[in-house]
Amino acid sequence: MSFLERVDQSIRRSPVFRSIFRNPYPNDERSRAYAVMNNVFLHLHPVRVRQHAVKFAYTFCLGGLSFFLFLVLTVTGVYLMFFYAPTANQAYTDILRIQSEVPFGLLTRNIHRWAAHLMVFFVFLHMMRVFYHGAYKPPREFNWVVGVVLLFLTLFLSFTGYLLPWDQIAYWAITIGSNMAGYAPLFNTPSKILLLAGLEVSGNTLLRFYVLHIMVFPLVGAIFMAVHFWRIRKDGGISGPL
Amino acid sequence: MTDTKSPPERRVVLPVDPTRRTEIDKQRVPMSARPYRLLALVKQDAVVRVQKEPDDTVMTWPHLLAIEFLAAAAMSVFLLFMGLIVNAPLEELANPNVTPEVAKAPWYFLGLQELLAYFHPTVAGALVPAFVLVGAALIPFVDRANPAAVRPSERKTAVVLFTLFCGLGLMVTFIGIFFRGPGYSFILPWVDGFFFTL
Repeated sequence: MSFLERVDQSIRRSPVFRSIFRNPYPNDERSRAYAVMNNVFLHLHPVRVRQHAVKFAYTFCLGGLSFFLFLVLTVTGVYLMFFYAPTANQAYTDILRIQSEVPFGLLTRNIHRWAAHLMVFFVFLHMMRVFYHGAYKPPREFNWVVGVVLLFLTLFLSFTGYLLPWDQIAYWAITIGSNMAGYAPLFNTPSKILLLAGLEVSGNTLLRFYVLHIMVFPLVGAIFMAVHFWRIRKDGGISGPL
Repeated sequence: MTDTKSPPERRVVLPVDPTRRTEIDKQRVPMSARPYRLLALVKQDAVVRVQKEPDDTVMTWPHLLAIEFLAAAAMSVFLLFMGLIVNAPLEELANPNVTPEVAKAPWYFLGLQELLAYFHPTVAGALVPAFVLVGAALIPFVDRANPAAVRPSERKTAVVLFTLFCGLGLMVTFIGIFFRGPGYSFILPWVDGFFFTL
């Protein structure tokens, strides 16, 4: 037995390790079933899945990757929050500091940006995949509606985040985007005041978008995601092949 | 299982190339290859539990988890790569008094901005998005013709309408991204260049 194997063995046999992982590494069906059932992260899955569900070309992992991108965005976003203040005076200089002084700040901001665009794109693709498979048909109607809500939450997560760098792209993209809300009949001015905290994009808008971006939409999204994943299993698992 | 649909003469066990036999193939027992036949029916509430029939499922660990892990790992590598080589755009400080030459909404709202060029603002800015939101949510309650019809050939109307709608959305977004320049005027990207930041 080599040195590394002995270290590996002693870690696995230690009481601390065994208090965390109650079962040895799963090698047979029974222990694999337990591993999925008894793990808080894995128990999202059933113990067994239909064969077509594990074929990459059936789902293209689009829903799973959207969720993974959400997790990536949460981690990178929390890191960026440490170095960012949502005020009209400070926001832009904070972004410059994140890019130049903060360790891995530029990389984190880049990943956050690209993952955000990719998440919007993947949620769109996931919706199209589900439609073409007819996977919204009974008994999955309600889960489709939850999915539509999640699509719009994703769009507004991205839209609120777009303003935060407080540069010219951000300012004018949000001005144009929110002008459209002002075209709503009857409640145009109230809806604009509600969205922008004023009649045009200002420091108040920045604070409002920041709170929506880091707190409200992620929390509401997480709740809808929980319902979405729960309903996949309660509605009979992933839909059947064509 | 799908084998009920296939004609009887096709119900043979296809030999799997031994070199290409995967774990899934080993677990797979085609219904047509059952080496037994019906001898008696045992009541559900019998004391002895009846052996479960071979089905078409595989273990989540490792089959599904391996794919999920690979997809997440590939995505992580891709994001790291993108983050290293392409910087997120950042222009000068926001200035409400200076309208930039090219002012576009984020790409997912660019289709709506494009519609503003054709329709009354109330239509493009309020009615179309409301129609899309409510219409998308209502799809499963409108398309109730035949719940069993999932193949595209069995539900041509739904597939054609949805594809047309997605195609229109893609088209206006593409025009907004590539064919609109300073002052949101119509341009040709191969003549005037490219006016778009992600």
